[in-house]
Amino acid sequence: MSDTPMSGSDVGLDDLAEIEATLPGHEVHDPTVSTIDGGPTWSEFADGWDLFSDAVWSATIAGAILGYLSVYVVLRRMVFVSAAITQAAGVGVALAFFVAIHLGFAIDPRVGATAASLAVAALVSRNWERAGLTREMVLGLLFALTSGLAVVIGSRISQEAHDVQAILFGTAVIVDPADFRALAIVSAIVMAIQLWWYRGFTFASFDPLTARVHRVPVALLDLVLLGSIALVVAQAASTLGALPAFALSTLPAIAARLLVTRGPLLATFIVAAVIGAGAGVVGYLIAFFWEMPVGASQTVVAGASVVVAVLIRALAVVTLRLIRGRTPAVP
Amino acid sequence: MTESLITCERLEVGFDRRALLPPIDLEIRRGEVIVVVGHNGTGKTTFARTVLGLLPPIKGTVRRSKGLDMTYVPQAASLDSTVPLRVDELLGWGAIRGWAFLQPWKGRADRDLGRAALETLGVSHLAHRRIDELSGGQRQRILLARLLASDADIAVLDEPTAAMDGPATGATFAALRRLATEKGMTSIVVTHAIAAATSHVDRVVVFDPSGEGIVVATPKEIGESRRFHALFDGIHHHE
Repeated sequence: MSDTPMSGSDVGLDDLAEIEATLPGHEVHDPTVSTIDGGPTWSEFADGWDLFSDAVWSATIAGAILGYLSVYVVLRRMVFVSAAITQAAGVGVALAFFVAIHLGFAIDPRVGATAASLAVAALVSRNWERAGLTREMVLGLLFALTSGLAVVIGSRISQEAHDVQAILFGTAVIVDPADFRALAIVSAIVMAIQLWWYRGFTFASFDPLTARVHRVPVALLDLVLLGSIALVVAQAASTLGALPAFALSTLPAIAARLLVTRGPLLATFIVAAVIGAGAGVVGYLIAFFWEMPVGASQTVVAGASVVVAVLIRALAVVTLRLIRGRTPAVP
Repeated sequence: MTESLITCERLEVGFDRRALLPPIDLEIRRGEVIVVVGHNGTGKTTFARTVLGLLPPIKGTVRRSKGLDMTYVPQAASLDSTVPLRVDELLGWGAIRGWAFLQPWKGRADRDLGRAALETLGVSHLAHRRIDELSGGQRQRILLARLLASDADIAVLDEPTAAMDGPATGATFAALRRLATEKGMTSIVVTHAIAAATSHVDRVVVFDPSGEGIVVATPKEIGESRRFHALFDGIHHHE
């Protein structure tokens, strides 16, 4: 398998080569065992579970929590915020490599991603009206700046370009246990706060004027919400890659919004979390068996979930019309 | 003398340091129903939001009595139809004050208060419907139900009857009058529905920047003024 096996921070390139040799793509396949296009088999996947379990659990956890948060991202029309935060996470990782190579300070890429993401979240949550700037203007500036910085810094760390590419686009087949632990801890804390403060977040998000009149700390809730998104995106970008982190923080909510037509608002959050987790795991498995880049596969699966949701909704509308058309009018 | 809740002194409201109206002096007392009328763009909503503290005054002051519990009824159109929110959830928010969201276990009790308010308005069948399924008039009733459930000292309502027919508009102002009489709740209503309002309100604040400026009068005084008849005809035709 040609994929970089991990995007982790604690494992060097020498270690990676060693681990890579153990991956399914490097193994001699038993022709008697059924395979997908000659790729790895389920039994190989099961045999290597100890190696792959962290990656599968990372995809599940990141997909679920990002899927949950994506409801805020989409319904509050903050997709650009998510894009800017994800881009910032990538810059943070590249900066960590840059500092290590050129200045001699070893900085964990996770720390770089987290710091850059939180900085963007803090800048976005600030009210810039006094400076004559709207949130859209600030977002445009931050997105363009972080995109440019990623390329500029990337060009100065060519010897680590493979790792940076892996982090930005998510080609990880296995995940560094330290990355997995960080993702799990951050996700647990964020989810606990999300559930505990659920009424505050929803009130402040979807009726902010009334919430302010009711003395609800709307600015603080916004900051915590954006900070939560930044923290999870940073960990997910370090673990899975920036591309799938962005996809999982937007697309599950779109699919959930199309599919959930009844029930409370929480139902949309739950369905989005399930779709996110599903996209993470299914995307991983497809990448594993078909030997594709994992992050891209997860992104495509998340996109496909939206297409499927559109089709299901269209089918439901047509079916409903047919049923109603055949039902005799009530006299 | 009735307790003063909010005092506006030489208050000027507007945006970008530009006042929309001449200075206003107004004392808002407990249990009053006040309507704010004027043509579109005269600054009624801006005034309401400044009184609530959502916008800073351009000049002058707004003094609110200590511990004043306020609520806001936004325009029905401001509810985002893309948010898959159920009516009972929206009503449950009505009882959240300050940091009360840190007590998630109170959510059910808050929603029950909302459901009781829906029953009072005769629309309890809407409790499990989603906001995007409701008409403009139904949304306004839901927001009114949230106001009933809020138990606030003072409510500011922005065009609460814009999508309602005549009888529903009259019933809304009658409900506000009842709240004022029975619970001492003060209402400040930004509206165009002057005719339906006057029999239920204590004072009328007229925003007429091209003529009289700002006038605060009783419905009786307004009714006796030929100048205001002409202005209100204009507002009616503008609706």
